[in-house]
Amino acid sequence: MKYRYTDKYIFVIMGLLILFALYLQYSISKSTEKLKNEEIEKTERYAERITNYIQSETNSTTLKSYLEAHPDKREALNKMLHAFLTKEIQYIFLLYKDDKGHYRFLLDGSLKDPVEYNTIFFPKSKLFDHVYQTQKPQIIKQSEGVEEIWLSLLYPMVKDNNTQALLVIDLSKAYGDYLNDFNSPIVYIVTLMQWFLLISFLFLVYLGYNFHRLRKSMLIDPLTSAYTKLYLKEFFDVKKVNQYNAMMIDIDRFKLINEKYGYETGDTILKLFTKEMLKLLPKESRVIHTGGSEFFVILEKSSADLKEMAEKVFEGLTKKRYLIDNETISLTISMSAMVIPEDVEYIGNIQRCLDEKLLEIKNRGKNGLGIIDNVSVTEVKYKNMDYIKETLEEERLTCVYQPIFDTKTQQIIKYEALVRLVDKEDPQKLIAPYYFLDMIKNTTQYIKMSKLVFKNVFHTLHMYPDIKISVNIDLCDLYNADMMKLITQELFKHKQNAHRLTFEILEDHEIKDYDMVALIFQQLKTFGSKIAIDDFGSGYANYIYLIKLDVDVLKIDGGLIKELLYYPERTKMMLNSIKVLADVYGYEVVAEFVSNKEIYDIVCELDIPYSQGYYLGEPKPIEEYMNKEQN
Amino acid sequence: MKKVLILLILVYGHLYALDRESTLKMYHKLLFSLSPKAIVSVYVDDDEYRKIFSFSKRIQLINEPENADIALITNEMAFRKVLGERRNMQIGKKPILFATDYRFLKRSDDIIGAFYWRKGRSQLLFIKDRLDRHHIVLPREYKDFLVDEL
Repeated sequence: MKYRYTDKYIFVIMGLLILFALYLQYSISKSTEKLKNEEIEKTERYAERITNYIQSETNSTTLKSYLEAHPDKREALNKMLHAFLTKEIQYIFLLYKDDKGHYRFLLDGSLKDPVEYNTIFFPKSKLFDHVYQTQKPQIIKQSEGVEEIWLSLLYPMVKDNNTQALLVIDLSKAYGDYLNDFNSPIVYIVTLMQWFLLISFLFLVYLGYNFHRLRKSMLIDPLTSAYTKLYLKEFFDVKKVNQYNAMMIDIDRFKLINEKYGYETGDTILKLFTKEMLKLLPKESRVIHTGGSEFFVILEKSSADLKEMAEKVFEGLTKKRYLIDNETISLTISMSAMVIPEDVEYIGNIQRCLDEKLLEIKNRGKNGLGIIDNVSVTEVKYKNMDYIKETLEEERLTCVYQPIFDTKTQQIIKYEALVRLVDKEDPQKLIAPYYFLDMIKNTTQYIKMSKLVFKNVFHTLHMYPDIKISVNIDLCDLYNADMMKLITQELFKHKQNAHRLTFEILEDHEIKDYDMVALIFQQLKTFGSKIAIDDFGSGYANYIYLIKLDVDVLKIDGGLIKELLYYPERTKMMLNSIKVLADVYGYEVVAEFVSNKEIYDIVCELDIPYSQGYYLGEPKPIEEYMNKEQN
Repeated sequence: MKKVLILLILVYGHLYALDRESTLKMYHKLLFSLSPKAIVSVYVDDDEYRKIFSFSKRIQLINEPENADIALITNEMAFRKVLGERRNMQIGKKPILFATDYRFLKRSDDIIGAFYWRKGRSQLLFIKDRLDRHHIVLPREYKDFLVDEL
């Protein structure tokens, strides 16, 4: 269950509970009504019997004249009526209407303080007259000026179609209260429950309101009023990524603005910049402040042509001038935009692509717009951390091997192991390091990958005892304690094969602590492994290595070899000098990037002992080379 | 809790005030229907009634019946006192006598009417010829409570 639906479910449950509590109250009220109705029906039965009895006793003449003439009978009938007085029946009496329309007592069932015969009575209800006229029994409720009575049953005594008298049975208020209170414990509990639910509901509404406010503050950046990264995530939890296009915008050198004009001005500019951006974009667009001076924009595919829109936004934002404290500030931006391919499902991949493009623009000197056209779905798919993580977890990793030849004899003397990941859907498809290596660098996934590479390499060494393998490793990785631990453990584990392994060291940065690197190389060589300097002659891989470090192989940079095609003489001189130097130091020399016969011939001519390149042999599974050798 | 208690006291006080007010209102109307005066002097020896009447600015409570415009007979002692004095002092028709019990109304022809409870119902009753003797003409709204005889 996604968390954003949880609150809705809680409200639904709470609503159902409230409905249940209301239903309970309704049921209790119905049950109480039923009790009351039963009591009324019982009283009606009594009234019928009483009137029948009185009529049977006084059948010979009219009721009034009979009772007037027979005080003893009155007495007897009063006693009879008294017999019906219970805790339920408060009063029971018989009235007649005199010539002037006043009601007067004929009989009274009360023994205590009985009312005398013919005493006048004001009934406090017009319904008495109504019953007298209609001759239909009726229940009347307590009205003003009436006390101690819950309900009164008026039962007419009719003879020869004339109403002779009205039997009044008053049900006591105490009994009415008793009936009302009959279900009171349950009513009390239900009422408590309703209050509890009501308070809980109000509390829930309050919490919901606070949650909504908090969520809003988490989804909207207070500085720029643009959305936050969390919003982006939630947005694409619901929406399909491929229905949108995306742009990434970064203000160039924004740090300088902060430093020059102060952070307050920087904040103001960010606000104005966001406002301007929103003005330029279609209404349905979403601007996400991803941090610092970087914004991520998503646009509906149907809203505008991406290229046109990106150009419009770029032009608008770069032309905009910001007047701050009488000073006009203009900004340059680096911007990347792309049409999201149909098969893409994860926005993170798109962000990565746009980020890479943005970096490229920044490296080219900033202030530019880069539109990623026809980006391959494969690229988007593989440049996905989750995908790579899953691949490594499932150990879908292999190594392909590119042979290194003895230049003269063209015999394979070694193989360079090159890492590849295996596609999940198509195991024949191998994923090149271009897609994942930079992404996983400095993460635990990189260590995991290295472990799998060593496993593969040592397995190959174990399987084929006559071959040698070189494996690439970045010097930066060797500074990593975890990585070093892994390598030394692997070397120790396979120490019998370690002497057939060469570490090809790649170096992106200038070495500052040669003593430490020398120590690392020493550790790598403990079990007889060799050290090769990869890409020698370019970047930081230079002559100082030869002085300060104990290496075994120099692999001449492919870039230098390539120059043989354009500046053959000068390049030959350079390569020759490297070869002479290597001979003096006793290093093996490998020429990389031998991609055609022309280069191969020059390498032969220069007497560089070892060569490697597509002309001689492509990277392939080791089995293919081994089978070929056997044949 | 304190607030709840105060609220309960206020509610109870309000209800009590309502009961007192309705009784006073009823008697107020009745007394001024019997007497044309702007301020009516009333004799009543029942503390409960005296307390209620004390809230009216137009009712003057009198301790001796002979000085009152209207005497309210609420108990046997008052019945004897007022009727006794009336006979002894030969004070004529004053005060107008009104009872709170049907029995007093029946026992004395001098009492013009009564307000009492019977079978849980309030009963207001005036006897026509007794009112005539005092030249009292009741408002129309009391028409239904006017009887010729008991």
